[in-house]
Amino acid sequence: MSAAELSAVRLPPASAAARRRRVLAVVLRDFYVLRRSVPRMLEIVYWPTVELLIWGYLSVFLQARRVPAVVAVLLGGVLLWQVLFRSQSEVSMAFLEDIWSRNLLNVFVAPLTAAEYLTGVVAFGALKLIVNVALMAAVALVLYGFGLFSLGPGLVPFMALLLMMGWALAIVTIGVILRFGQSAEVIAWAMAFAFQPFAAVFYPVSVLPAAMQWIAKLVPASYVFEGMRAVLAGRALPWRTLGAAAVLDLLYVIGSLVFFWRMLAKVRANGGLSRFGE
Amino acid sequence: MAILEARGLVKRFGPVTAVDDVSFEVGEGQVIGLLGPNGAGKTTTLHMLLGLVTSDEGSVRLFGNDLAHNRLHALSQVNFAAGYVHLPGALTVEESLIVFAGMYAVRRPRERVNQLIELLDLGELRKRRIRHLSSGQQTRVQIAKALVNEPVLLVLDEPTASLDPDAGDRVRQLLLQLARETGRAMLITSHNMREVERMCDLIHFMAAGRIVATGSAAELASTYGVDDLEAVFLRVARG
Repeated sequence: MSAAELSAVRLPPASAAARRRRVLAVVLRDFYVLRRSVPRMLEIVYWPTVELLIWGYLSVFLQARRVPAVVAVLLGGVLLWQVLFRSQSEVSMAFLEDIWSRNLLNVFVAPLTAAEYLTGVVAFGALKLIVNVALMAAVALVLYGFGLFSLGPGLVPFMALLLMMGWALAIVTIGVILRFGQSAEVIAWAMAFAFQPFAAVFYPVSVLPAAMQWIAKLVPASYVFEGMRAVLAGRALPWRTLGAAAVLDLLYVIGSLVFFWRMLAKVRANGGLSRFGE
Repeated sequence: MAILEARGLVKRFGPVTAVDDVSFEVGEGQVIGLLGPNGAGKTTTLHMLLGLVTSDEGSVRLFGNDLAHNRLHALSQVNFAAGYVHLPGALTVEESLIVFAGMYAVRRPRERVNQLIELLDLGELRKRRIRHLSSGQQTRVQIAKALVNEPVLLVLDEPTASLDPDAGDRVRQLLLQLARETGRAMLITSHNMREVERMCDLIHFMAAGRIVATGSAAELASTYGVDDLEAVFLRVARG
């Protein structure tokens, strides 16, 4: 087949159009999997709703005992925590789907770069998250009268910072699973929760012991949840601390990508990638 | 011109040398067989050619370019199917092919998928999920996926493993037809000697990570003074 005939079949592989098409293929694949999987569809609604019901009614109970602003603080915490947790777990699950279906080698022999693959799974994870948060916000509004937009303009940086952290953790998760194989898949569910005590989702950082407060300072999410409580208490948006969180997020993302590429190189060198086909 | 050149490939896993100084070429339209007993290094060799495993020594040139530095261009012209790799079970045949057409940046994915569905007689399976197909049907879909980008080189690792004789024969007929009609180069590993005899222009026998014999099926039988490729295999496997 001549070069002209070949170029009639495929887009030039390094062209922007080809890159876009490959990323969209990953998004489309994840969409097809979601559309045909009832458990995955339910997951979007089930766990967030259960959490919202438990924490929502707990906060209603506490408010009835005159604990101030507790509904908003707890529900805000639940909703924003979901942004972090789901952004991490959705991306990790998309990768696990390839392992579970024994399709990973097909993906890695395609002219799909690791960056395109990650972009695709992150993009679809973000789409799912939008649906997820919208549903939860609607439930919180209907049941408790808590509007997510009561967080005001701070909502946008809060969500963006949590998304960045969640994606960085997801990329680390994928790197760990690549390196240690399917037996390490439990990390897909556990990774975000390892950070939860330091993220100060439901309590201020100041209640933590001194050593844990130092760790909390290295967790971008802790600044977000502190900021959320400040806004709900009627104080101004703490832009300076959110800036610190953004710098930390950037370091997290860079670190996660470096880690991922190292793990990928490692499994290509030690034959670990081939073992995903066994 | 050789479309694939493997030169001095070496791969060690700890103290084990899985592939030891393997060199060979695949020319345009050639069907090459890579044979050998379990653990001979066939799959590791294929995986090095596909960039799944990095070699410790040696080089792979695809279409004249070094794979390590031109991965994107090289892999866009190659495709792969193996008995041990599956397609996403939740997707239908059509969805799966559309997704891979996208991953290979095929210009008109739906048109190409329709061609493949017709070529591989998958019309009735089009809307069925992969996980609900028989092994033979799944293999046909795998081959459709492997053709989605009109590859210049098709790498097939035990494509008929786990198929019953009837399904295996159908797949062999199909691959032979593809090789003859499209002039597509193929690199195949198999434990089915009759399959290799029927399909391959040239065979490389591997044992303990090295290529120990090369030739057509008839040449190899003659070299070893036996009747057929199966007897050659037994000689090689038993040292």
